[in-house]
Amino acid sequence: MLVFTRRRHETIMIGDGIEVRVLRVGRDGVRLGIVAPADVPVHRQEVYDQIREANRSAADTSHPIAAIAERLRRRQ
Amino acid sequence: MTQAQANADVSVEHPQVGGRFADAAINAGDVLSFPEGLPGYETARAFVLIEIPEQAPLKMLHAVNGSDVCFLVVDPKSVLAAYRCELTAADRIRLGASDDSTLLWLAIVMVGQDGEVAVNLRAPIVINPARMTGRQVMPNNCVYPLRHVIGTD
Repeated sequence: MLVFTRRRHETIMIGDGIEVRVLRVGRDGVRLGIVAPADVPVHRQEVYDQIREANRSAADTSHPIAAIAERLRRRQ
Repeated sequence: MTQAQANADVSVEHPQVGGRFADAAINAGDVLSFPEGLPGYETARAFVLIEIPEQAPLKMLHAVNGSDVCFLVVDPKSVLAAYRCELTAADRIRLGASDDSTLLWLAIVMVGQDGEVAVNLRAPIVINPARMTGRQVMPNNCVYPLRHVIGTD
């Protein structure tokens, strides 16, 4: 891992088009601004982790498909 | 990754589905490319969408070519009629989507240990049929929960 010391308003460039700027430094957190090309998704790690966990709990071929389908049909 | 590279990752000559759908007839043209896989299943890059009339409105998004990963999916509008999210610019570009109206939205169904059935409305799968490509997205201004509970079996 590359480690930098940055002060407020200082920036790190990643590749050609990604800029990470330190906007504010507080006691409990650092506020960052991200500038990235339009086709680069930017997400908080914990959101990605939650989706990964949800997917893992979903990818199970032993589900009672007929019962779930019936439940969904009753809602329509 | 370009579309050509994405397609090169998929063995389109003889796609195979394993698991309980091993008998399903799969055509090479049915294979959907997920260039980044799905979170937790990053190496599963090729899927088919299996529809069995008796199981409507459920569909199965099943990995092909060696992976048995299978998700139960459902049109989020069949769970919440008013469901509507807006793609981020990044997702729209990666899907090659110029017209949102042609996109297919699918929500993943989860079954808990206790039999609780929930639907992931926060991070839906969006497929662009025109390019046979898909990805799991986190739309802008999406107010729906990751686990929208629809009941217990």
